Amino acid sequence: MTNLFALLTGVAMGFLIQRVRASSPAVILQNLRLENLSIIKFMATTIAVGMITVYTLNLFIPNLLHFDIKPTYLVGVLLGGLIFGVGFGLGGYCPGTCVVGIGEGRRDAWFALFGGIVGALVFTLVYTVAIAPIVALLDFGKLTVQDALGVPAIVPALVIGILFLVVVKVLPTQIKKA
Amino acid sequence: MTTSAATATKSGLPPWATLGIIFGFVGAASILLWGPIGVSGTYPRFIGEILRAVTPTYAAENPYLVKMGSLLRAETFLLLGLVIGGFLGARRDTAKAPKVEHPHPGTETTATRYTEAFLAGFLIVFGARLAGGCTSGLIISGMTQLSMAGFVFAAGVFATGIGTAKLMQAVRLGGR
Repeated sequence: MTNLFALLTGVAMGFLIQRVRASSPAVILQNLRLENLSIIKFMATTIAVGMITVYTLNLFIPNLLHFDIKPTYLVGVLLGGLIFGVGFGLGGYCPGTCVVGIGEGRRDAWFALFGGIVGALVFTLVYTVAIAPIVALLDFGKLTVQDALGVPAIVPALVIGILFLVVVKVLPTQIKKA
Repeated sequence: MTTSAATATKSGLPPWATLGIIFGFVGAASILLWGPIGVSGTYPRFIGEILRAVTPTYAAENPYLVKMGSLLRAETFLLLGLVIGGFLGARRDTAKAPKVEHPHPGTETTATRYTEAFLAGFLIVFGARLAGGCTSGLIISGMTQLSMAGFVFAAGVFATGIGTAKLMQAVRLGGR
């Protein structure tokens, strides 16, 4: 059943990514050059609606949601983000959007996928020597905003969620005419 | 090129808002039904299956492959869904998606674009595995669950993402 749910989630996610044009590297680069903010606003809206929904649900049906918080090992997470950003700004694809792009018939998406597979291979080969020591640095474990602040989760969920929604409403989408 | 944000839907909301609200509910439903969405872990699980077939002794001793486990799990089905979703989404467009896009200003050959996409693919998956997730697992699912790692990762991604995009523009336009 879990596999079927995951498959259906993937179909919906792929469809939405395609419809909003997040699988188009040209549109991603317009966003990263801050000429058009449609994808950044799409992501912020998704996160805001998601955090308000899951933490509201969690008030009514606690212990039923499948939360899975990733660990905050500060150096590795930040360094990984910085490396990811260079690739994102160079190619305009994410590990997921290139898979959506393949479904759309994009040929350059295949090259991003191949690059990703080689990246995963190299990562695996150097893991013990180069990665494990970095991941051990400044590891705060499965840290959340609510844990750091010592408040109920619904508080930061509402504050950050509403803040994101206000910001995307106020910011213009088209900054520079293409 | 027309962007999706240029036209408003029947509800009066721009497409990014409508699609973002739906994606927010899809992500929440996913956490309710099976778990948070995440893509990049499937790449090393795929490598794991290959290495277990080619060099089983090495694969059994590699702590990362042991940690990541088998490809037979929900996230792999999520990736299959992404291909189908992308295909179905594209069918609603009147024009076919371009085979190759040149996202940076100025000119480049198709071979340059393929090299660029390959290098970029390497960096996004390597960076995502170092951080423990990508745009879906850390930015979307991570920030949705209010994980600190998601906010830290997103800050890193947009810092160098915007920097690299601007640098590519300067290099490509400056070279003429």
